Amino acid sequence: MTNARTAKTTREKAAELRAQAERQESRRRSMLITAAVAAVILIVVAAVVLVRVASNDQKAKEAALNGPPANLVSGGFLVGNPSAKATIELYEDFQCPVCKAFEAANGAAIKAWVAAGTAKVIYHPVAILDADTKYSTRSASAAAAVVNADPKAFLAFHDLLYTNQPAEGGSGLPDSQLIDYAVQAGLAKATIEPAITAQKFAGWVGLQTDDFSKKGFTGTPTVVVNGKQIGKPQSTPTPEEVKAAVEAAAK
Amino acid sequence: MQIPIALAARLPWVATAIRLGLGWVFVAAGWPKFTDPEGTVRSVRAFQLVPETFVRPFAYALPTLELVLAVLLVLGLLTRLAGGATAALMVMFIFGIAMAWGRGLSIDCGCFGATGTTVADPVAGYIKDTLRDSAFLAGALVLVWRPFSRLSLDAMLGLTHPPRATELVPIGAGDL
Repeated sequence: MTNARTAKTTREKAAELRAQAERQESRRRSMLITAAVAAVILIVVAAVVLVRVASNDQKAKEAALNGPPANLVSGGFLVGNPSAKATIELYEDFQCPVCKAFEAANGAAIKAWVAAGTAKVIYHPVAILDADTKYSTRSASAAAAVVNADPKAFLAFHDLLYTNQPAEGGSGLPDSQLIDYAVQAGLAKATIEPAITAQKFAGWVGLQTDDFSKKGFTGTPTVVVNGKQIGKPQSTPTPEEVKAAVEAAAK
Repeated sequence: MQIPIALAARLPWVATAIRLGLGWVFVAAGWPKFTDPEGTVRSVRAFQLVPETFVRPFAYALPTLELVLAVLLVLGLLTRLAGGATAALMVMFIFGIAMAWGRGLSIDCGCFGATGTTVADPVAGYIKDTLRDSAFLAGALVLVWRPFSRLSLDAMLGLTHPPRATELVPIGAGDL
């Protein structure tokens, strides 16, 4: 009886020790797997960050190599008399439907101020709707190519792009269409075609868009009159707000 | 902590549902950000919280981490670690949104990718985003508390175990 109990206790002890060893082994294995997977995660995230930072630096270098388009005024495309008192700075994306609506509501008034010498406009093309299609960048780059060739052709090209704005989320207007509109705006096809097809100023557009965001602007159209952003935050300025700001600036 | 038996029986399946739900959320949130790095950079910048030097690294790392967590959650690998990281991310998102709200910024959170559109009523967006992220946070905390789940690599590899008998209190389903 006594012997049997002792034997059982020994067996129990052995089983306990085995179970304990198993638990330790399982804990060791789980720590090993955790450490390995955590290391892989860190490497993946770090690799993506490094590759993308490098590719961004490369893009900036390429943009610098192609240079900004010729004929820039205050970093944008000037329309109107440079000595006009009121300066309207317009940050627009050719793919943005709200910009199209803004153009429809304010385009005529702005043209009248420009014609009267009351105001000048500096257009800043930005590309913030590239998520689905690269049309924002392609169209802005094409506009830069137009200004580079002949700044007087810009406004007509700009108006054509808004009148014929493609649906958001589609593939955008093809390059051949952009070239056609540049020709309609008064440029020779041979001059403008290579710059549009090669997206010569895409890098410059990228830098412009980054600057736009660094200034704290988040949406298009952003309208700045004599250095002051007008309209309520995150809402498109109304024609009344634009008119009031321009008239105050022109005094 | 002791848990009722009836809950213990269901918890592994609840954890599986949470894992797959959060994993899907991270795919839906991470993929658009990952494929539009420039838009993500602008979204991060709009919060005005990350210093300019770190905006790009942060904007590149965030969607990558979200996608990695999606993989871990869907596979059920290192569920407790993934749940903890998810909870930390949600706390960070809620903090960011609260700061934007508190400082009167009118931004779109860019949670599921940059929309590039303006928002008419940012406060409604902040409330919605905060509630949504709080729900995700609660789910992530359940995974930290009880990482054992069905259909998981963790269970197959023996990395997680069902609750031991000593952790259970005998309360039936009727008492829940």
